[in-house]
This record gives sequence, structure tokens and C-alpha cells, in this order.
Amino acid sequence: MTTAGSPPVRPSRWGLKGKLIVSMLLVGVVPLLTGLLLAFFQGSREIREVSGESFKALAIEAARKLDLLVGEEVARTSRIAADPVIVAEMERQRDARHDLPEEERQRRAAQKRDKWEAKDPATVKAITDNPLARLLREYYSGSSTELDQMLPHVVRAATQMLYITDLDGHLVAALTAKPPYDNGHYAWWKGAYNNGVGLLFIEDLYFDERSDTYVFSISLPIMDSLRYETVGVLHRVIDAKAFFSPSTHPIRFGKTGHVMLIDSRGIVMSCPILPTGVRIADPDLIPLVTPREPGWVQAPSDGHGGTSKSIIGFSPLPETSRATNGSIDEGAWHTFVWQSSEELFAPIQHLFTWMSVFGSLAVVLLAALGSFAAGRIVTPVRKLQSAARAIGRGELREPIAVKTGDELEELAEEINRMNSQLERAFAGLTSQVELKSQEVRILEQSTDQILDAVPSPIFMVDHQGAVHYMNRASREAFDLQEAKPESGNLYDLLHLPAGARDRLKRELAILGNGQGRERRTPATRTALARDPLVPGGGEDEADRRELQVGNAVYRYEWFSLPARPGEEARLGLVLRNATDESRLQEQLIEAEKKGSLGVLTAGIGHELNNPLFGILGLGEAIQHEPDSEQIKQYAKDIVQHGKRMAGIIRDFAGVTRADTGDRRCSVDLARLLDSALRLVQQSMGEWEIEVEKRYGSLPPINAVGEELLQAFVNVILNAAQAMKGKGRLTITVEQGPVLLQITIQDSGPGISKSHLLKIFDPFFTTKQQGQGSGLGLTIARRLLMKNGGHIRMESTPGQGASCIITFPIPQDAARTEGKG
Amino acid sequence: MTKITTFTLWGCLALLATFTASALSAPPKNKDETPPPLLSPEKVADYIHAIIEADRKFYTAQVVNRMQERGIVKATEHWENEGTLPLPAQFLKHSGQVVAENGSGIRYRLISLWPINQQNGPATPFERKALETLADNPAEPYRGIVTSGKKRYFQAIYADRAVSAACVSCHNQHPLSPKRDFRMSDIMGGIAITIPVE
Repeated sequence: MTTAGSPPVRPSRWGLKGKLIVSMLLVGVVPLLTGLLLAFFQGSREIREVSGESFKALAIEAARKLDLLVGEEVARTSRIAADPVIVAEMERQRDARHDLPEEERQRRAAQKRDKWEAKDPATVKAITDNPLARLLREYYSGSSTELDQMLPHVVRAATQMLYITDLDGHLVAALTAKPPYDNGHYAWWKGAYNNGVGLLFIEDLYFDERSDTYVFSISLPIMDSLRYETVGVLHRVIDAKAFFSPSTHPIRFGKTGHVMLIDSRGIVMSCPILPTGVRIADPDLIPLVTPREPGWVQAPSDGHGGTSKSIIGFSPLPETSRATNGSIDEGAWHTFVWQSSEELFAPIQHLFTWMSVFGSLAVVLLAALGSFAAGRIVTPVRKLQSAARAIGRGELREPIAVKTGDELEELAEEINRMNSQLERAFAGLTSQVELKSQEVRILEQSTDQILDAVPSPIFMVDHQGAVHYMNRASREAFDLQEAKPESGNLYDLLHLPAGARDRLKRELAILGNGQGRERRTPATRTALARDPLVPGGGEDEADRRELQVGNAVYRYEWFSLPARPGEEARLGLVLRNATDESRLQEQLIEAEKKGSLGVLTAGIGHELNNPLFGILGLGEAIQHEPDSEQIKQYAKDIVQHGKRMAGIIRDFAGVTRADTGDRRCSVDLARLLDSALRLVQQSMGEWEIEVEKRYGSLPPINAVGEELLQAFVNVILNAAQAMKGKGRLTITVEQGPVLLQITIQDSGPGISKSHLLKIFDPFFTTKQQGQGSGLGLTIARRLLMKNGGHIRMESTPGQGASCIITFPIPQDAARTEGKG
Repeated sequence: MTKITTFTLWGCLALLATFTASALSAPPKNKDETPPPLLSPEKVADYIHAIIEADRKFYTAQVVNRMQERGIVKATEHWENEGTLPLPAQFLKHSGQVVAENGSGIRYRLISLWPINQQNGPATPFERKALETLADNPAEPYRGIVTSGKKRYFQAIYADRAVSAACVSCHNQHPLSPKRDFRMSDIMGGIAITIPVE
């Protein structure tokens, strides 16, 4: 209700609408983007697969082509090596080796080598223009081949050197003066000679200084006519670039796609882009692209200096690789098919770009549509929201007009219905509240009037003693007309003395703790168990539930009041002006005392009469009695009578002695009971009561003997009067662990239950007028209590009554008893 | 698998080489005692031919055919690159190469009038004559003494038949094969065994 005027302000008004738009965007965009990404990745993957496979196929095809190219070259060279003229010459030279001793052959070879190195014309001519050399030249120029097997020009141009060595590796015949004379130490020579068995040896790429270019070589053994053993080696050095480039360079696809040839060390033999003889930049790439079997790979670099991911197809040259460096284990040649990633993935990049554009358009479109749709939904919701706020303030008068034709419209109708029901309910509730308020006011007024009508002052205070209410009587009594009830606390208002003030505070505290009834301190017990008849003054002044305000004495009672929810419980204080009452009571008690004195005096008079008449009679008899013995006897009787009278007077003195303050001393209960019994017996006219005494061991108790005696007299007298002087009186004294109990049981008619409750009330009596004042038991109780005792009456009507008096056993006495 | 087959192959080759070497080197060892009867070169060539034949037959039947039937590995021409087994003819050729490289002096090779590889054609008129003769009379080997310069050799050439379907299909399909109507057990060429004669 307090917030009805100010609805909570939110930082943004985009709450529901924003959420709706975001939801629509998510619903639309997530699948869209997922689809686009999947398409992109799948597309990339397929392009990769397809490209890889086609690169592989291309690599295999290129490898086969290059393999044939090398194979044809090998075949051409082997035709030279198998030429019968050459074979015959080399066989002849082999056989001639045995004609000369070893030393001679070496000397001649050294001589010839020096001349060759020195370009001695005769030696050069002997080697470059002998029959074998001429034959080689014929083969080289093509005139020695069959007509249909023209040596292609390119092979001629590519051939850098072509020469024959003998079994010592010495030059036998050459086309030019470029070849070295000694060849036996070369790997190619050893490989081709192969311990006389002979083997095709294709040498890997190397830079040949004599030819000043990168070359590879084909070395073929010249076998004897039986192909039994090697008789020489034919060596052909070929310019790699010139040889391979016509085959590799035309193979181009796209802008960057091409084929290149590398050896197993990763050195480029032919490439349209890279120069021959360089090594592939990335050494990690080489093992990926030079396995023995064809394939394709997605490599982290492209082998051409780029580090982008590349698809590379590769294939070894199957036949050539068998002979490279003597065997396939010593190295192989591989084709390498590559296209730049940018070009390769260009289509998918375009696709991705277009997808991004379309995706963005779709997002914008979705956002626009979402905004529109959200607006359609949110507007009526806002209307409903403001309506709900109006209902909260109780200001909605017009029904909500939402015509969307869907659940929102139904909701609006529901809210309208709810609003009207709420209005009706509120109307009923308001009238009821008014009614109840009226009742409450009436109740308050009545309470006030009732309280004001009560003559006793009544205060309502809290536990601190602050006054919250006081009735008219209290205002009048304490002259507080001017003072406001809230203006002060109770003690100040009543001008209490310090002692009374402390007592009230203490009581307030005890009651406030909620322990007032269960745990009372001895002082409080005394205060609460106060006999209102006890006259003021003396040591009991402080313990009494009475207050001295000015000249007046007030008796007071606390009562608790139900607390209002959330507030401290209050206490009510009722005061009763007891000034007159207590004065009257004191007068009454005094009168009673005197009254009973009268009765006692009459009784004593009667008692004294008998011995007195006895004494008189005996006195007369003595006058006329001559016998001295008899006179002595009479005198003895007179003394007896006199003693009796003295005892009566002593007893009487014990009853009527004025209250002389506290003279507590150790008293013997048995003696007191006997005295009381005797007094009662003497005061009663007729006495046919059989008395039974059951005294146990009686410890002395600390009390004022005279007061106890009077109390016992009153109690026994009451019993005797109840029995109308006839019957049986049993006096039992028992000692319990803490209490001493005196039971005085009569055989009278008993006391009815209703009377039992009032038996100790002042002026309550069942006797006829003049027989008793009705204060006997009241006084007995007061006296007993003063001496620490307690009295109660038990009775079953028709079976007599028991008066039970208890005393606490003094602790030292009890201890003595225990020890004794 | 490739390793195993290669191993098997090398095992076979080593076995063959041992046989061959022991067959040839046995006689000189007993020279000090009573001179043993000299073996004629014809006999030596027969023995060696028997070993070559047996080895290739076993390889063809128990290695190549078995592996192919089980689909484990095939025998192809470019076996080094393709992770496959060498063809039976390649087996014979390469074992011959190994024997030659051993330096024992004996050589053998396959020759044919219709070679896929020109190098395997007849090298000499003697060999050509032998192949032509064997085509008519395959049972008897063609033998003779041949010379290379001053060196003399005994040569025996045995008819060689198509021992497996692989031989036939390969020679009938290879682009470089001059003759393409071979059938099983046809004479495809010969095994030429060459022994130097002192």
C-alpha cells in the first residue's frame, strides 16, 4: 500500500520486448549460423578431399610421364652400351689388361691422365676422336639411330657429357674434353660396375662444375657380348632443368597449380616456380611428401616458402626410383603437385563471404521482424501492467480494453473480473472494519467508564513503572487531575517513600520476569501471604501489601493485562483505601480481647468460687472443731484450695497479659497444651469430654508462650464448644522431618465444606448471638502465624473436625534431636 | 606384412644362394684326398636349373598364390612402391642378380624372344638359336660353349613355361609386351645359365 503511489522504476523499459527479440534472434540465428558453419566446414572438407585426390591422381600421372621420359633416356643410353662395336672394343680392352703387368698399366694411365688434364691435343684427340668417340657422337647427333627413332633435340641439348670408361674407371672415349680422366672412385661408377655384375645407376641431382649447372647422370654398365660381366661403364650427364622442364612446366592448373619433381632429400629437380637445386624450405614437409607410395597430404606449409596449410599430392617415379643411387632404398624421385591455398580455397572463401553477408541480412531482418512482433505482444502486456498498478492503488475505474483476440485478451477480462470482485469485497470489508472499530470504541469507552466508576484507584503501568492509564478514582485520590497519565512513573505520582518504592520495583521486576507466581522470595511470600487483619506497625511494616500514601493506608493488588502484539505486557495496580478498615479491625480485636476477658473472668470467678466456698466452709468448720488433728486436716485442705486458686490466677494472668512485644523463648508445647486444656475446662460450665493425649517426643520451639497458649485455648475452646461439652477430644503431637504437627480432633458434628473455607474469616461464626464473637479462630491463626506456625481445618461432616497446627522445627533443635 | 614378405623373399634368396654356393664349392674342398669324379657342366647346369625351378615354383605356389587368394597381398611389377610381392619372374631375376653379386661366377637369367624389357632379349645369336630350338623341343635344354673375347663359357638354356596365371595375364596386358596371346604352360622363353669354363 505504501508503494502504491510510486511504481518501482526499472533502468530500462526493454524487459519483455528485449527478451522476445533476443529469443527470436537466437531461434533464428543459431540454426542459421550453425547451418552456415557446417556448410562451410563440410565444403572445406570436401574441397580438401577432392583436391587431394585429384592432386594425387595428377602426381601419379606426372610421375608416370616423367618415369617414361627417364626410362626412354635409359633405353637410348643402353642401346649405346649394347652396341656390338663398343662391346667388342671393351671386351678387347678387358682381355688386353692381362697383357701388361699392373705397374705398367698404372704408369701409363697416370701419364695419360696428366696429358688429359693438361689438355694435350694428341691425348684429347685420342680420346675424343677414336672410333668409340665417333660412334658416341653418331648416337648423340642421331645419325646412328634407326630412322623412326629420331633423337629428340631436347635430349641432345640436355646432355652435358657422354663418355665411356674402362674397368679401371679411366676415360676411354668422350664427346668433349670436359669429363675427368679418373672415374673409378665415383659412386656412380662403382654402382654401375657393381663388382662386374653391372647395374643401372641413376645419380641424384648435383651441381657439376664442369658443366656449370645442376645435373643428374645415368650410368650403364657395358656388358660383354654374353651379358655375363661388365667390361666398361657408359656415363651420361644430363642437365636436369633442360631435361625435365619441357615435361613438368606445361602442367599448370589455375593460377598457381603445378607439378614439380624432387628427390628424396627434398631438392627440387624441376619446378616452374622454384629454381632447380634448391631444397624445400620446410624440412618437416619432406618426409610427408616422399613416402614410397603415392598419396596426398594436408601439410602445414606449401614447400614454396608459404606457411599456410596446403594440399599436396605426391607420387614416386616407379621405375626410375629403382635405379636412383643404385636401389630404391638409396633414394627415389617424387612428383609434387601443389596449388596455393588461397586459390584452392577461394570458392569456399567466396561462399563464406556470401554466407556472412546473407547471415547478417537475415539477422537484421530477424531483429526488425522480432521488434515488430515483440511490440505487438508487449503493448497489451504494458496496458495490463498499468492496469494492475491502478488496481493496487484502488484507482482502476475503467475496464481494461485489450482486443488482441488471444490469451492476453482473456487475461485482461480476468483482471477486469477480479477487479470488480475486489471492489465488492473491499466495500464489505470497509463497512465491517467500521463496525468493529465502533465496537472497539464502545468497549474502550465502557472500560473507561467502568474503571472510572470503580471507587478504587487503578493504574496501568509497564515494567519500568511508567503510568499508562489511571482511572478517575486515582486522579481524585492522589489529586492528579492536572498530571497527564503518561507524564511520570508511579512512584513519583504517588510520592512514595523509598522503602515502598523499592518494594514495588522489586515486585514489578518479579512479575515482569514472568516468575512472580512460581518463585517467590521469602520476603515476597510474606508479603503475599499477608494476613490483612494483622495491625500495622512493628517489623512487618515493610512486608505488607500496603502502602502509606500521605495519611491514608492503601492495600494493593497487582494484576496482569494481556499485551498488545509487539508491545510489552502491562500490569494493573488496584489500590484500596484500608485506612478506616484497619482502624475498625484493631478496635474490634481489642473489643474481642476484652470480651473474652469477660468470659474468662466469669469462668475464673466460677472456678475461684468453689475453692473459696471450700475455704469458707473449712474456716467455719475450724472455728467449731475442737479436734486439732481435724483442724490440721482442714488447714491442709485450705492450703490445697489456696494453691488451686493461685494456679487459676496464674493461668489467667498468662492469658490476659498485655502484648509485651517479642519475648520469644524456648517453650514446652506439652505444658502449654495442658494449660490451655485446663483453662478451657475451667471456663466451660459442663465438661464431659474425654481427653486423649498422644504426645510424642517434643522438641522445644522458639515462640512467645503466652501467645501460643491463647491460640491453643481458642482452638480447644472452639472444639469443645462444637462438641457442646460432650464427646472425645484427641490431641496428637507428631514430629516429622521438618514440621512439628499438632492435631486437635473433636467428635463433634464436623464442619460443612462451605463453612470450612470461611472458618478463619473474621466474624464468621455458627454460634448463637452472645456465645462467640467469631474472632476466636482468626486470632488463633494470627497468633500462630506470628510465631511461625500454620493452621488449617479438615473435616468430614458428621465425623468431627481436625484442626492441624504445624510448626517448623528449629534447625538446631532438629539437629540435637538427630544426635540425641 | 610387407616386412614379412620381404623377409620371406630374402630367406628364399639366401637359401638358394647357399645351395648354389655349396654345390659349386664342394668339389675343391676334397682335392687333397682321392680326386672326386669331375662333374660335367651339363650336370651342374641341370642341378642349378632344378634349384631355380623349385624355388620359383614354391614361391609362386606358396607365397604369391596363397597371399593373393587370401586377399592379403598381391604380386605386382612395382612391388617396392606398392607394398606388394615381387612377381615370380622378378623373383628369379633378382635372385639371379644376388647370385651374380655374390661373385661365385655363375649367372642365370630369363630370356625371351618376346621380352617386356629389351635387355631380356637374346644377347647373342647362340641364345636366339637356343630359344628358337626350345620352342620346338622344350624337353631338352640347349647347351654349348660360347665365347666373349678370350673368355669361354658353358651355357645351358632351359625352356621356361608360364607357371602361373600371373605370368600369363601380365605378359598379355603389359603395354611393352610384344606378344599377347600367352596361355598357361606356354613356353614364354628360357632360363639361361652361364658357367665360366677355364
